[in-house]
Amino acid sequence: MRDWRTLWAAVLALPALGEVAGNEAIYRERLAPLLAAHCASCHTGAAPQGGLAMTGLAGLLTGGKHGPAIAPGSAAASLVVQYARGEKNPKMPLGGSLPDSVVAALAAAIDAMKPIPNAARDAHAEWLFSKVKAPAASKPSIDAFVRARLEAKGLSPAPPASRRALIRRVYFDLIGLPPPPEEVDRFLKDESPNAYEQLVDRLLADPRYGERWARHWLDLVRFAESDGFAIDSERPTAWRYRDYVIRAFNSDKPYDLFVKEQIAGDEVNDKRAGDDRAERLVALGFLRMGTWEADANFKTQLRQDFLNEITGTTGSVFLGLTIGCARCHDHKYDPIPQRDFYRLQAFFAATRIDDRPAGFTKSEDPAGAGKRLLRRLEDEAEEAAEQFKKLEEKLKQKYSEARNLKPGDKSAADYQKALKDKKDPVYTEEERRQWAESRDRSRRLGELPARHRPLAYAVSDVTPPHVPAVADTYVLAGGELANKGEKVEPGFLSCVTGDSGPAKIPFAGGSSGRRLALAEWIASADNPLTARVMVNRIWQHHFGEGLVRTPSDFGRNGERPSHPELLDWLAAQLVEKKWSLKALHKLMLTSNTYRQSSEHPLTKKYAEIDPNNQLLWRMNWLRLESEAVRDTILSISGQLEKSGGGPGVFLDVASDVAEGFEFFKWFPSPPKEQNRRTIYTFQRRSVVMPMMEVFDAANMAESCARRNVTTVAPQAFTLLNSDFTRRAARHFAERVTEMAGPDRDRRIDYAFRLALARSPSADEAARARGADLERLGVVLFNLNEFIYVE
Amino acid sequence: MWNESRRRFLYQSLTGVGGIALMDLLRAEANPLAARQPHHPAKAKSVIFLSMLGGVSHMDTFDPKPALTKFDNTVMDWSKEKATDQANLFAKPRLILGSPFKFQKHGQCGRDVSELFPHLATCVDDMAFVRSIQTENGNHPAAVFLMNTGWTMPGKPSVGAWVTYGLGTGNQNLPGFVVLPDFRSITFSGSQQWGSGFLPASFQGTMLRWKGDPIQNLTPPQEVTPHMQRQEMDLLRAYNQQHLEAHFTNPDLQARIDAYELAYRMQSEVPGVLDIAQETEATRTMYGLNDPVTESFGRRCLMARKLVEKGVRFVQIYTPSQSWDSHTELERRHRQNALETDQPIAALIQDLKRRGLLDSTLLVWMGEFGRTPDCPADLRDKAGRDHNTRAMTIWMAGGGVNAGTIAGATDELGFKAVEDIYRMRDVHATVLHLMGLNDLRLTYHHAGRNWRLTDTGGQVIRQVV
Repeated sequence: MRDWRTLWAAVLALPALGEVAGNEAIYRERLAPLLAAHCASCHTGAAPQGGLAMTGLAGLLTGGKHGPAIAPGSAAASLVVQYARGEKNPKMPLGGSLPDSVVAALAAAIDAMKPIPNAARDAHAEWLFSKVKAPAASKPSIDAFVRARLEAKGLSPAPPASRRALIRRVYFDLIGLPPPPEEVDRFLKDESPNAYEQLVDRLLADPRYGERWARHWLDLVRFAESDGFAIDSERPTAWRYRDYVIRAFNSDKPYDLFVKEQIAGDEVNDKRAGDDRAERLVALGFLRMGTWEADANFKTQLRQDFLNEITGTTGSVFLGLTIGCARCHDHKYDPIPQRDFYRLQAFFAATRIDDRPAGFTKSEDPAGAGKRLLRRLEDEAEEAAEQFKKLEEKLKQKYSEARNLKPGDKSAADYQKALKDKKDPVYTEEERRQWAESRDRSRRLGELPARHRPLAYAVSDVTPPHVPAVADTYVLAGGELANKGEKVEPGFLSCVTGDSGPAKIPFAGGSSGRRLALAEWIASADNPLTARVMVNRIWQHHFGEGLVRTPSDFGRNGERPSHPELLDWLAAQLVEKKWSLKALHKLMLTSNTYRQSSEHPLTKKYAEIDPNNQLLWRMNWLRLESEAVRDTILSISGQLEKSGGGPGVFLDVASDVAEGFEFFKWFPSPPKEQNRRTIYTFQRRSVVMPMMEVFDAANMAESCARRNVTTVAPQAFTLLNSDFTRRAARHFAERVTEMAGPDRDRRIDYAFRLALARSPSADEAARARGADLERLGVVLFNLNEFIYVE
Repeated sequence: MWNESRRRFLYQSLTGVGGIALMDLLRAEANPLAARQPHHPAKAKSVIFLSMLGGVSHMDTFDPKPALTKFDNTVMDWSKEKATDQANLFAKPRLILGSPFKFQKHGQCGRDVSELFPHLATCVDDMAFVRSIQTENGNHPAAVFLMNTGWTMPGKPSVGAWVTYGLGTGNQNLPGFVVLPDFRSITFSGSQQWGSGFLPASFQGTMLRWKGDPIQNLTPPQEVTPHMQRQEMDLLRAYNQQHLEAHFTNPDLQARIDAYELAYRMQSEVPGVLDIAQETEATRTMYGLNDPVTESFGRRCLMARKLVEKGVRFVQIYTPSQSWDSHTELERRHRQNALETDQPIAALIQDLKRRGLLDSTLLVWMGEFGRTPDCPADLRDKAGRDHNTRAMTIWMAGGGVNAGTIAGATDELGFKAVEDIYRMRDVHATVLHLMGLNDLRLTYHHAGRNWRLTDTGGQVIRQVV
């Protein structure tokens, strides 16, 4: 344990430390004396000239308002040398000039330093930041690329998976639910050569596909329906963004358009987007999904935190780069200067949070009943509030009388204390109950209208003429607001474009057009990152691991792609197929690589050659995610409610999870509604569903590209003992009885087919005869075979 | 992911070892909670965090300031504090507030303790104080996050998760990191305060309750008889075993079978550990279980001792959310909180000591920030103190701390730490150090870099170790 961790740390830490240490010595011995003699009188102290404090190597690297003072390894690129040589005005030191020998010594010292890693462009960076080139192959296909690498190592792929394993795999993979027994039978009997392809097509066209795949995206964009922090206010229309994502997947919205709408839906002008502006405003929810400290003391800091968060998240979600690392300093591993972080941030300089009017779209409200519903909810809320007010007045009156208070006595307000104090004799038990009930009813109904208001949880730009100019963006030394450095204009990553100048900003009506510029650059076929990153994410969910196993870090510190040519080929395919994700799914799912078994006859031997199955000599296992576990149990017990969309449902949770919050109360939805798919459950940051938590759901605090897969005892408690499981087992038993009739063996058979998509073996059936169906249901929900998909 | 990289290394280092032996090894290694060797010899094996939510006033507890009485009711000058983090609070005129509590020196070390803690005053020779902690954010939730994770925003692993990640735990039948909140009011953001952040979920805190099931769903509902449960477990075992034999190359399957066995053992072990009926009447009285005022905190202190005795690595006990917060009525509120916690904590120290467990158990007592020497002039008659990020007193006991010592000092009014200033990351580094962990080496790779509990900070508080 200790050894591997130490080793791991050492491997990562040593090169960087070594470089710094070497530079430090050169600085100390050769650079510092020269600077002290010639520059320090102006460039030290509390207010150094040009913001450049020559205190230590770090001071030079941080630099002043013109950027870092030195570029280790390159005197020619170092400002200190450029100013000393007079290449830049004014020549330094001001009003004089240094002897040539001093300038030469200065330059020699800087040249002797090792370049900081990010300045170097290694082969990986060369590949990553260059436009995708479809590899030259005579007959490119997933299988051809995979087989080539396998053969190079003398390995061969696993045999095809059984049809039963395959249908179960592709069902969970695409719709997150198990295949019904009838579908399994149909597929097993279908002997046509394209039976599997048709199955894939059917599932891709199934609306439950969007409900499954939207969840992957929501993890990535840290989706939640509350602010987090102390108050953790509800975001009453955030659900519209969730539904937007589900629709985007179901309608196979081209990925480039999907990107553009989320970054600049209000500015985008794309024929494919259709004329529904509300839809595109809702998409902007992406920029709002981070946590928000509503009662922050420093509003300017809160604003800066917001900008930092969306800059970093945009970088990791769409570009697969840890851009956020460059907030305080140049990126330690990738060629992303700190300046580029703020140039990217400048695209959001005009962006402010804004709940924008956005009428419900046809898909959100097909019956056009939204307005009527809202009016009704408002009336009900008003009525409940009125009723509560009346009751309170009555109770207050009683209190004043009981305490003999004169009219207008302020201590009459203490009646609430008396209501909460069970020992106080003023009120009867019944009155207390009535009061609590009426209060809760008023609160509960009072929450509802906001969820049905036609607002998009979005952003908008503040631009002239409302302000004199779009707010300026500065490089912030150390990421601190107080340390404003160079002023920067919006600009793309220089490591990709080779250009550190300002980006061209398109005209965008009343908006700044800045986000549109960024969105178009990201969603361009020429961007070397966008398609690769998304292709890899899709691959990861189908195959269990990405071709790059650090899906939000393609940089130097992430893992190298196992099949770079395949990745590039797929990226090119995505663009060629007009950014259609469904086309991409089909390409992957119909490959033999996907259809192979998760067992290989030579596992023992192969596990030593390629223990992590990077070469894909077999299929990886899938441990069902928390949502899939819950949805599956609801589904096979016949409880699943299929209605989709709309405000989230509130699940019953143990009192210690949902109570004790000062700023809100948790009101569970009616039981039937609670049986909707997990993606429709209300996502409050401070009330995490215990079942979701134990099965490693995303934690909503930040972008989650890859969930943990842990195996802990509380999972067993949840699946064995919770009310949820026990209730499901009862429904399961009823359903089996209804479907299979009175015969015991047929019941057992049907129960197995529901849960595992297969009939029991003779031995399994014999054992099952000793238990009643409810027991059998609980056992089936807990089986390894249930939760691990081959 | 943690398992993944771990397994990867094992495979790489064991190339050539036969397949089956390898699988066995993987199985053992698959348990992320197995006890692990520390970086250096550890002084403490377990930690108990006593989290005083709301912010305890240092000048009314362990950091006497006679000057407050001298300048009582005079105007406090804040003009030099330009960059205050609570601009609104300090915009109005403020008056200094003398402490309503008397102080006395106690123990051989002659430590100052106010009348609020008559029981703890008898333990000062076992305690090490730090009077110069500064924090970063004057808002409760952010400050509690800082106390627990070193960060003011949610989503980072808590100190308990880091310690459990570093050392595993000593009892495989119990959770490694146990949280004992006060259910009258759980802290802001609930379980995120003891979450595992980007560390695997195995290291997150498990909340135990002292009424009903101590762990959620620990036991089946009443209608499920022991016979039914046994039937289920037998059937489950049999089916899983057959499945495993057909798919023995997947080590996760065995790990899950093991987790179920652990769950089964926990079902019987947990209630036993928490059964305080086994304790003598004297012990119960000592912890204050017979008094409704001290019962809640006392019961949890006793649970903490029993858990630590059984090898649990990290226990955290909370007072109710914001309980110490005293913007008004400082005297009443502080008396109430002291009354609820003083006797139980002193009992915990003495009980651990007489059982020989104090040396290996580190106690850390702290809140999320200190309090101001003054209050707004218009609220002078309400006599409270506001949040203060510039000074806080904490203490540690047992676990190899330098007992009887004191570090740091505040200015004349207790407004600001002025000597040997330490921050929350230093407290965390100190805890790790005493547990045998080096905060520089306890790292986890996430989102493109190696993360530490102490991030870019962290220095061990030398005076207390």
